[in-house]
Order: sequence, then structure tokens, then C-alpha cells
Amino acid sequence: MFSPLILLQILWTSLATSSYLVLFTVAFALVLKVNRIFNFAQAATMTVAFYAAYTLVSRLGLPGWAGLLAALAAAVVLALPLELLGFRALRRRRASSIFVFIFTLIISELVAYIAMLVYGTWPATVFPSLFWPVRIVAGVAISEWDVPALGATVVAVSALFLFLRRTRIGQSMVAVADNPDLAEFYGIAKDRVYLVSMIVASLIAGLAMFLYGTRAQVEPTTALNLLLFAIAATIIGGIGNLGGAILTAVVLSLCENSSILFIPSAWQGFLLYAFLFVAIVFFPRGVRLPRRLRLSRSVPTPAFAPEEPREA
Amino acid sequence: MDGDDRMNDPTRRRVLAGVGAAGAASLVRPAFAQAPHALQFGLAMPLTGGQATYGQDQVRAAKWGIDSINQAGGVAGRKLEAIVLDTQADPQVGIQDVNRLVSVNKVPVFVTAWSEVVKAVAPIANDSKTVELSVGANAPGIAKLGEYVYTTYPLADVDVTAIARYSATKLGKKRAAVLYINNETGIGGANVYRRAFTRAGGKVVAFQAYDPHATDWTGQILKVRLASPDIIYIEGLVADTPQLIAQLRQLGLTQTVSSYSAIYNPNLIKQLGPAAEGVIATSLAPGPSDNPAVKAYLERWMKEVGRAPNGLPYTQYLHDAPYLIAAVFKEMLAKKMPLTGEGFRTEMLAIGTFHLPLTGKLVISPDHTVQKPVYLMQVQNGTWKQIAVVS
Repeated sequence: MFSPLILLQILWTSLATSSYLVLFTVAFALVLKVNRIFNFAQAATMTVAFYAAYTLVSRLGLPGWAGLLAALAAAVVLALPLELLGFRALRRRRASSIFVFIFTLIISELVAYIAMLVYGTWPATVFPSLFWPVRIVAGVAISEWDVPALGATVVAVSALFLFLRRTRIGQSMVAVADNPDLAEFYGIAKDRVYLVSMIVASLIAGLAMFLYGTRAQVEPTTALNLLLFAIAATIIGGIGNLGGAILTAVVLSLCENSSILFIPSAWQGFLLYAFLFVAIVFFPRGVRLPRRLRLSRSVPTPAFAPEEPREA
Repeated sequence: MDGDDRMNDPTRRRVLAGVGAAGAASLVRPAFAQAPHALQFGLAMPLTGGQATYGQDQVRAAKWGIDSINQAGGVAGRKLEAIVLDTQADPQVGIQDVNRLVSVNKVPVFVTAWSEVVKAVAPIANDSKTVELSVGANAPGIAKLGEYVYTTYPLADVDVTAIARYSATKLGKKRAAVLYINNETGIGGANVYRRAFTRAGGKVVAFQAYDPHATDWTGQILKVRLASPDIIYIEGLVADTPQLIAQLRQLGLTQTVSSYSAIYNPNLIKQLGPAAEGVIATSLAPGPSDNPAVKAYLERWMKEVGRAPNGLPYTQYLHDAPYLIAAVFKEMLAKKMPLTGEGFRTEMLAIGTFHLPLTGKLVISPDHTVQKPVYLMQVQNGTWKQIAVVS
């Protein structure tokens, strides 16, 4: 019934769609790994980034690159007070993880509420048109959005891994993620590392939201729904395992799209929760890759997550 | 601030709700509204929260209706006045509002919208024998909420049935694919379409749900392509339907795409460009080309507000609701009836047919449904054009 061409089409579209999902997941997993914050405020960053791009491109008629820069700038502008005035103060007060989590939840809701007041609830897109021309390659429809989006994702993820492995501050981030107290003992300024981590994650989230907003419509609460996917991918991929989270985001996207070939379409939305349930119950440490295939070291679980033994 | 102060501190939501309600109240209470014998009715709409952009425009439209009635001499020499409360489109807040309207203000009739709110406050309307006019909500169950709940807006099955029949009989389509969002709106509408299309002689060859948070529909679209339909019907929401149509076109499906009133807005054409060509949607209110009063109404929006209203057809119905209420009050006063909910209901049913300025003829039927003409609109050469009116 289903030709190889159909499977190829699903594979390609799922891969293209996973571009922004991967970036959402990477941003979330990075803050969880380094800052040890279950950062629901990422939804606020995503919302601010989108509306900055939307304002410049759709409302003021500026070109797309200006919108991208605005999205990145807006994401960073929100990240700075969030870290400097919010998270840093909470750390100094030794606020519990659950309290910090609630704080991030409040920020995301607050920003969504303000966005509703300012922009209303009518769905919006970065560019006035949602339609991207299509080219047929070997029977598979490839839109003009697909390749640049995938390219941007590959570049961003590669840049992140290079940053983490080749730069001093990146190595400091890995060190803080592994053991913050030991890192501090060796002279690493934790606060600086946390700030850089927030900025990097915000840039990634800003890029992802720009990509999403050029392909799909966004409402003030859209980011909260998108974040759910990132959380699921992070948990299934193994908390603290950036590579696992990325791979999970791609696989989840593929599973969701191809599932319709095998199960009734009404059950499609159920899949994400089913995966999440199975992962939490049967794989609380995430679905682990063989060590040689991992892209980064695992780190100790944050205080609020289920305890797991540290790896040597 | 100590603990007690904190306890007494109003929440942001209350403050905003108060500001919103006060703002709206100032909109609808002209200077003479303080006159002791003003005829009052309730208007419980979302003025804050996620639906406020629609609610505020609808309240503004109702205010314009009230102003016009009062400028024309009011109702038998008495002014008409709305008591506006903010529901936030939240059933719990709606219940508080309606309790106040029936027990403190003792209005005989109130207007509200949003299906969840309409359903939540229905028991209060029935218990207190106060007429609840649902204006804009379209859940099919509204017709069965009790003897004091009436709608002036056609429920969901009216336009979906009309477009299904039109597709099968007038457009000659025999094989339909249905794509629907997997929630109450989508499931209900998709089933109505399937029934109506099948009864009209067609066959539904694909019936595919999609998740409300979906951003990609490749699987569903490829299954639709395999079924080889000659028309595609989408029962989605304004946020997802344009994307779904874009992806249909990108994946090479060229069949006629149809949907209901949710996508009838100029944004669809902006968002899809040439891919919007041929899309058919419904409208449940006459447009500027059908009724000069609607044209003047739109011009007033552009002049006074600088834009078209959010959800034009809904605002038309809200604008007209005070005219219906005024007509019933007028008859009650002429017959020297007490201004109670029971009397209002009796007289409203006795009048039965109302001719309203922006939405035309309205028949309030004893079965609590409303039949209105359905305007079928199609994108042709970059604009919405009316292709048929289905009674």
C-alpha cells in the first residue's frame, strides 16, 4: 500500500521538521545540563524572539535577516535579566529546585500574557506568506524552507559542540556541568559560566523560533506547547546527554509522522505521551547509547530529578 | 508588606479584569444611562485574557448597536443600557458574572458567548428564569441547554452541512477526504460533514485526524493522496488550517480545498498567496457586498478604530443583539408586561422573527436552533468572492 516514495517523503519532511525541534531540545538540555535548571522560561525566550522577528519583518517590512538578528538579540536581552536578576539571586538565596522551576513557569506565563495584550491572540508568522515553493527531487517534494532550515540546524549544533570542546569557556561549561563545586575549586567562575550558558541556549532557542515562525503560525502560547516536545526529548534522551536529546528529537519527529501509516490518525498525538511514560517508567536514566556513540559525557542528575548514580 | 497585606492585595488578574470591565462599562454607558428607568440587560464577554481581542471588539460592536437605538429615541422613550462584565472566556468567572446579573442587577436577559461559558451559566439562567442569549458560540449542544437558553448564532452543523451538500450536489464532487483537528470542534464538525456528504450521494474516502499541536501533516496528507479524493474538507482552527493547506499544495495535492467559517478572513490569502486560489469557506453573516449596512459598519471600524474588527461576522451578531432585545422590551412595555425573564422569553418566542440591521432575518425557533443562510466564499484572483448562498 505504501510505496518507498511515500516512506522517503515522510523521512525527508520529518527530518526537515525536526530542525527546529532539535534546536529547542538542545537549548533546553543545555541549561538543564550546565545550569541545572528545568527552564520553562525558555518558552518566554522563544515567544520574545518570535515577536521581535515578526515585528521587524511582518509589521515593519524589513528583510528576513533583520528578523533573524532581532530574534537572536531579543532572546539574549531576555536571558540577561533572567540570569542576572532571577536565577543568580535565587542561587544566592539557596532556593530549592522546585522554587526555581516555579519561577521559570511564572516567567513563561507572564511573557505569554504580555504578548497577548500587545499582539493579541491572532496567529502570526514572520513572513506574510506561509507558502514555500517546492522542488521535486527523485519524486520527493522538497520545499525551499527545508534545506536552509536543516543547514542552519547542522551549523548551530556543530558550532555548539565545537564551542563546548574547543573554547576555554565551553570547557568550563562542561566542567561546571560535571561538578560545579570541583570546577569552582579549580578557579572557574560559576556565575560567568551560568550566564554564558543562558546566552548560548537563548541564541539557539531564538534561531529555532525564527525557523519555526517562518514555516508555521505562532500564538502567544505556542512556545509552551513546543517546549513540551523539548522536555520529552530531553528526558527520553537521558537528562544531561546532549547528543541523546538531539537524536531523540529527530527520532520522535520521525515516529510521530510515520506512525499514521500504522495506527489510526486520532492516536497520533498520544504517541509523545506514550513514549514519555515508557521512558520515565522503564528508562528513568534515558535510553542510553553505547558509550562510544555518545556525543558528550553524562552529568549528575539535577537535585529535583530522580537520583541516578554518577558515572565514573 | 506583611502576610495580611498580601492576603488583601488584589491579584493582577482581578485588577486587569476590573480595569477591563470599567473600560468597557464606560464604553456602553452614555450620560443618560444613569436615568432611573433605563432598560438593562447583561453583557458577559471576555474583556481580558486570551480571547480579549475578540471580546473587546464584540463589546464595542454591541455598544454601537445600543448607541444607535438610543439615538433613535430608545425603547418606547426609555434608554437601553448594557451591564458589561468580564468573563475572561472562563466558565468559572462567567458563573460569578451571571450570578451577579441575575441576583444583584436582576436583568431579565443577558448576552454571552464562548461555548464553555454558555454551557456553564445555563443552569443559572434556567433556575432563575432569566433568558440567556448565546451570541457567537456554535457548539451543537447549546440547543439542548434548557428552556431559557437561546442562540442567535447558527450552531456548527448549519454551515458544515451546507458546504457538504453543495460540494456533492452543485460542484459534483463524489469522493471527499476529511482532515480534522482532534478536539471537540474538529470531531463534531468532521462527523457532520461525513454524514451530510454521504447523504448527498458522495463518499468519504479518507477521514484523518491530526493532533491539535501538530506542526507537520505529511503522514495524513500522503494517506489522503492515496485515497484520490476529488475534494478535501478541513475542519481545523485558524492557527493550523492555513499551514495544512500550504503543505497540501507543497506535497502536490491540487484538489479543491474547502473548510468552514474559521478560515474566512483576508489573512488566509496573505499567508498562502497563489496556494489559496480555489479554497472555499463559509460565512454565517452577510458581507459588505450583500448588505450596504455592513459596508457602512466596516467603514466605521476603519475610520474610528483604524482596522477591521477581529472576527467580523461575530461582531455583526453582537451589534444586532441589542436590536433583538430592544424589540422584545418594546412589545413587553406596549403590553404592560412585567420586565421579567419569563415575560421576555414568552414575548421573544411570540415575536419569533426579527429583522436585524447587519445579520438580516433571524427566526428564534422553539427548538432553540437558528437557521440562517450560509454564504459560500471562494478565493478567486486573490480575493474572497461569494459563489453561492445556501439557505
